Amino acid sequence: MPADARMQESNPFVEIATHLFFEDLAGKVGVAGLNNYLVSLAKNLAAAMPAEEYASWSEFVNALREGQSILSTFEEVRPVTDRCMVTLRSPFERGWREYAKRVGSFAPVHREVAAYYNDKVRPTAVTSVHIVLHTFREAAASRVRVGEGAVRYEPVASAWVDGEVQLPDGPKLESLLKRAGISRTRLGMLLRNHSDVWLLEPA
Amino acid sequence: MIDVALASLIEDMIEKAGADGVVEFWQRVGDNLANRIGKEAYLGWTSFNVAVREGRTAFSIEGDVTPLTDMAITDVDGDVVGYLYAMRQCCYVPTIFRTRFAVGRISPADKAVTAEYNENVHNIAVCNFCVFHERFREEIAKNVTVSGNPLACYLLATRGWSGETKISSKNVVQVNINDDHVRALLRNYECVYALVLRGARIKGER
Repeated sequence: MPADARMQESNPFVEIATHLFFEDLAGKVGVAGLNNYLVSLAKNLAAAMPAEEYASWSEFVNALREGQSILSTFEEVRPVTDRCMVTLRSPFERGWREYAKRVGSFAPVHREVAAYYNDKVRPTAVTSVHIVLHTFREAAASRVRVGEGAVRYEPVASAWVDGEVQLPDGPKLESLLKRAGISRTRLGMLLRNHSDVWLLEPA
Repeated sequence: MIDVALASLIEDMIEKAGADGVVEFWQRVGDNLANRIGKEAYLGWTSFNVAVREGRTAFSIEGDVTPLTDMAITDVDGDVVGYLYAMRQCCYVPTIFRTRFAVGRISPADKAVTAEYNENVHNIAVCNFCVFHERFREEIAKNVTVSGNPLACYLLATRGWSGETKISSKNVVQVNINDDHVRALLRNYECVYALVLRGARIKGER
């Protein structure tokens, strides 16, 4: 995003209101319904953003590093290998901190919907916002072309602001790590000071 | 990211519940947030205004609020019963900028909700977020006491991202403020509201 004196990296007040919106929505449509709304909003957001094309994988990785790609619009992305990406700080951290400071502890429904997502879709969400993040990245990756090929996204691990980490189980994790080109030990090292570790690969 | 994604959620909700349904949702969210923040008490207007300036009150969650202490509201006995407060920047503007540079255009859902609110509730909104935070402030005001009296909040004027201004004809009458004073404030501020002691008999109330 271009530098602008009025531009900020997030808008915590609107994020707090949106979290309350989710809570109210869950009261009406239940945890499964909220999950559907979160998936849908993330897909709609990605669909509203311009598609991208790159001549080579290295050009794509460079755009990610420079914050020029749809996939680095909302987060600072650092490539660890050609396929393995890490996010330094969760794009939801400021909103979470402001919520904790001004409102109090998060309503349980945020964890409940994450548990539903982990059970039904894939086991990589700690809280509701991870559903948005993973779905958005997946939908955004599908809007990128490198050469003639598509790009596929898969989450490897998510660490929430409170330190809780969500990882897939054994064999699935091993497969992801192999494709990402990092070891289990390296993953542990990355999760000390990064919020997300994820995989991008040619589809 | 969630703030930018909000418009997508509203698009979805308009399809399912209509723009009027989204207005109701936003208002309920305003109630819920205010209730979760809880109560505050101040000895008098001086301590309250200092707290506002230092960002310690529930109103500060919206961003930097300036108490306009030269614009006191008085009751029939000449006692100060309230002040005007203003924000230099609408709390939704950063999201509009972020949307502009991430997505490229502001969702039509924003306009649909704004129009619904202006037509059927209160003609003061310049974006969908006004719906939420007008109600939020009204509820917060009930939970804040100054000298033992709860407050009432009146949203007086707003200026949107594109320069559109709105002045609430019903609320400027409530607090006996001249439209021209409010219009002048909109040159420097994007959101102007009044906080007064609930039930006060305001001098010159029209």
